[in-house]
Amino acid sequence: MTRKRFVILSLVPAIGLLATLALVSIAGAVWFALMNRTLRSPDYDFVGAYNFLRLLRDHRFFNALEISAIWELVTVTGTLVVAVLLAVLIYETVKKPLWRNLICFAFLVPVLLPRVAAAFIWRFLYSPSLGAINYLLGLVGIGPVEFLADPSLALISVAIVDIWQWGLFFTVILLKLMETLPKDPVEAAKLDNARTWEIHAYITLPMLKGPLISLALVKAVESLRSFDLIFVMTGGGPGTATETLDLYAYQMGINMGGRISYASAMSILLLIVTTVVFTIIWKAGKKWAN
Amino acid sequence: MRKTHLLFGTALCALATQGYAQDAMACKGTLPALNVIAQGMPAVTALDAHLSEFNDKWGTEVKITMLGENERRAKARLDASTGAGSYQVVYIDEANLAEYVSADWIYPLADVVPESYDLADFRTDLSNVATVDGVQYFAPFVGGGDVMMYRKDLLEAKGIAVPTTLDELVAAVKALNDPEGGVYGWSARGQRGSGMNVWRWTPFFRAEGGEWLDGDMPAFNSAAGVKATEVYMDMMQSSPPGVATFNWSDSVEAFRGGQVAILIESDVFGPWMEDPEKSSIVGKVGYAPPPDPLPSAGWSHGWAVSKSGAAEDCAKTIAGDFVGWATSKEMEQNRLAAGIASDIGRVSTLQSDGFKALVPQEYIDALLDTGPKTSLLIMASPVWPEIGDTLGLTLEELFAGTRDDVQAALDEAAFFAEESLMRVK
Repeated sequence: MTRKRFVILSLVPAIGLLATLALVSIAGAVWFALMNRTLRSPDYDFVGAYNFLRLLRDHRFFNALEISAIWELVTVTGTLVVAVLLAVLIYETVKKPLWRNLICFAFLVPVLLPRVAAAFIWRFLYSPSLGAINYLLGLVGIGPVEFLADPSLALISVAIVDIWQWGLFFTVILLKLMETLPKDPVEAAKLDNARTWEIHAYITLPMLKGPLISLALVKAVESLRSFDLIFVMTGGGPGTATETLDLYAYQMGINMGGRISYASAMSILLLIVTTVVFTIIWKAGKKWAN
Repeated sequence: MRKTHLLFGTALCALATQGYAQDAMACKGTLPALNVIAQGMPAVTALDAHLSEFNDKWGTEVKITMLGENERRAKARLDASTGAGSYQVVYIDEANLAEYVSADWIYPLADVVPESYDLADFRTDLSNVATVDGVQYFAPFVGGGDVMMYRKDLLEAKGIAVPTTLDELVAAVKALNDPEGGVYGWSARGQRGSGMNVWRWTPFFRAEGGEWLDGDMPAFNSAAGVKATEVYMDMMQSSPPGVATFNWSDSVEAFRGGQVAILIESDVFGPWMEDPEKSSIVGKVGYAPPPDPLPSAGWSHGWAVSKSGAAEDCAKTIAGDFVGWATSKEMEQNRLAAGIASDIGRVSTLQSDGFKALVPQEYIDALLDTGPKTSLLIMASPVWPEIGDTLGLTLEELFAGTRDDVQAALDEAAFFAEESLMRVK
């Protein structure tokens, strides 16, 4: 058996299975999107592009699109900034392996928590009347702050929980990556009297450009799936202040009138938008890394 | 002759019952698992201690999936509408009964629950909510109307009489509001949902003379709707921070935690205030009917048997028996023995000494006084969940301050409702 044939035979079953699963669900969503199916009734008709055209007149859809974009931006940027800052801080200040390992272990705990559990814990912490955060703020004369009921604070308050879970996890990954970097360039920079922040800004982090781009993409994909966190903490509210696209699709398709066709149209649009945006980002990232 | 007839009739009934029992017991061991979808009301969680009894009787394993109210509604609807039939027993409430009946997703109660469970003993007010066109569809185990709960000590300290009118209530709430002292005058549900903020807003809407429909068209964007919303929002100014997204649990816990002076909530929460392990205000709470002209929002939750989940005869038999068993007189007495007085579905339980021993007489009096004011206040339509949820979102936006034009917000919700009502036609 030739090498090429071996590779093809090994890959075909797995790719075939994945493609079937993906294509069947996408085809199902497209089919539903062209109908006026609701969960309440078994009867439905073909309505062509009506669901897509209605979406273009739906201000709540555009609001959800905007919230999704802000959510992506804030959580991906926030996670990476927190991870980089903490990784550098620990790398520079904690030298003993035992302490480093203990810190890494502690930093892994948040991401090991189920999202729903983390959401409930933080919902309670944020409570204006019973929460620990407001209690502490009260000691210094601030508040009570309505973290989840104030439309201007709700999204960022939920994003902080996401960053808390993933930022600390990424810190561990970055710290371990920094430990594997060659020491020579850093030693050379030190001999040239470079300051600590200069060493990291111009040597360490550029050497980690590839992994950082991969982490950013992983987080971007993960952030698209934050339904459970937002659902438990705010349910999309107050009003529509934290209603992302997946949440709106759920509200329309399952929770509200069971407009499954309308929700499917929304999912198809979300699929197209994310595929296009991620392809552009991926290509730009590759170019930058090279 | 009459005696002979009577004896013959009795023998026939006994034979029929025995025959049913024998036929039914042939189903033992045929259903490996009985799947039940529910929300965590005390009557549901209390079943845990007795499930082995039912499992042994039918050689099955009862598996109860516990979800929050909105999630339970969504998942049960999805299961029934797709014909998946994962659940044999479904948890139904006043808001989705019309939808389930019009879509033919559940059996009439009398078709599945054996007569021996005495269906006539269910409370009339709850059975009425469980009935469509004279046919009862679910076995209620909890429900009722509203009750006004107030802190006797706080009202007394300020020399305020128990409010008997809405105007007096608004004035009292404002007078009792003392955030610096850690006490707020009022609390309410702000979180969106047909069974959440809309449920508590509806009595205010009805008190202003509001009607849901004008012919076939939505009419809740009327002057009554606007006035009700303004009054509701005005009272929210005297509520704990975060009230714009409060669900019923947040509201009840704020009151039970001693932070709120007056609360109108479902009467089922009354006994919660008297639980010494969880309440910090035991003995300090007074109970009264909602002040005039506020009506009381009637509601009821219970078990029904799903047509898609229990399509086979044996599944239907076992599921029907579960519904009867879980809502039986004996089960209610078991709950009372465990100190649970909040979930009562039967007249015989209300009249029992066990119930009277667990709740204050003042609470029972308030229940009796509120009874005549209680009715189903929501729109009885299969599309109510959709219309109610949209209205709930609009109200939450107003409460949270992301919009401030009440009339325009209600107009938008009514516009959405037009389309929903058209589809049901």
